[in-house]
Amino acid sequence: MEQFLRTWLEWPSVAAFIQRFTWAWPLGETFHFFGIIMLIGGVGMFDLRLLGLAKQMPVKAVRKLLPWGVTGFVICVATGLMFVTGTRANVPMSPYDVIKNNIWLQLKFVFIGLAGLNLLAFYVTGMDSAVDKLGPGENAPMLAKVIAAASLFLWLGVIYFGRLIPEGL
Amino acid sequence: MQQFLESIENSAFSTYVRETPAWPAYSTVLALHTFGMAFLVGLSGVIALRVLGVVPELPLKPLKKLMPMIILGFWVNAGTGVILTSLAIVSFSRNWDFYVKLSAIVVAIVALTKMRTYAFADESAPDDAPASPEARRWAKVMLFFWFIAVLGGRLTAYATNIRIQSAAAVAVAAILLLLLATYLVRRSHRSPSVEARV
Repeated sequence: MEQFLRTWLEWPSVAAFIQRFTWAWPLGETFHFFGIIMLIGGVGMFDLRLLGLAKQMPVKAVRKLLPWGVTGFVICVATGLMFVTGTRANVPMSPYDVIKNNIWLQLKFVFIGLAGLNLLAFYVTGMDSAVDKLGPGENAPMLAKVIAAASLFLWLGVIYFGRLIPEGL
Repeated sequence: MQQFLESIENSAFSTYVRETPAWPAYSTVLALHTFGMAFLVGLSGVIALRVLGVVPELPLKPLKKLMPMIILGFWVNAGTGVILTSLAIVSFSRNWDFYVKLSAIVVAIVALTKMRTYAFADESAPDDAPASPEARRWAKVMLFFWFIAVLGGRLTAYATNIRIQSAAAVAVAAILLLLLATYLVRRSHRSPSVEARV
């Protein structure tokens, strides 16, 4: 299993690309940040509405921002994959060892997983359709508020641990 | 002047923040800077998307309630930005990219203020009314300069030749993505009318 992961996680072509083209890593970093901004602008905005901010906005309208948040997440995953698979361009370690030894990266993955489970809970508990009916000025159900607060906390945690990753290298 | 900057950089506070790796120092300040950026740029971007008609379903007036969060994001960024600058103020003072970033932030904030003024000026306007041309113009200016500010912020750590190459690469990638996004947004706005005709 370890050998499989070592091989699967390390992409010499990505590392070689990053080493050859010095703009590749900063390009990835910049888009990773654009992704974070879109994630907070989309998903964070939706969470804030459920928590009662700008309550005059119907939830169905705010939902239109979610594709922007999802796009931001996809950009972060794509650039994040570039950072992991091309690790060796910057650090003399295999991506497998970095993931195995870097507590902040592990916590980041855990928080992304928890954010995914939280999203699943939003749909499974029926909060998804319940909040869609909320008109201007209406409060979200308590469970939806808890899920929204957890979502905001988890995504901010993901950003926080992401910033700590270089400390663990 | 040089001595003054060095005294800031070598102060007990700057040394503590710079040399204490994780909680509660350097990385935490950096993370707070990112939180501030995400709320400031992300939420002001939401208002801009509505003003530009990209997300016309959002009622305009309630978006004004986002301003306190945006202002909070700004002050978190400003506070953490001052701390982060103090850690390496001597090299920052010689870094042209740093001045580009600061100038872009100033222009973006002015544009945000102008967009806010024009977008929410007419209290009696219906929620689905398109924003005024002035608000749209300032929304575009704001988004452009946030783009420059974020890019400038990311590139301050690199050498000048890498900065120039990276800025060019980001600009090309951003233009391509913008064209793709414009196409997708126009397509998504067109599809309901097609369904209605069917």
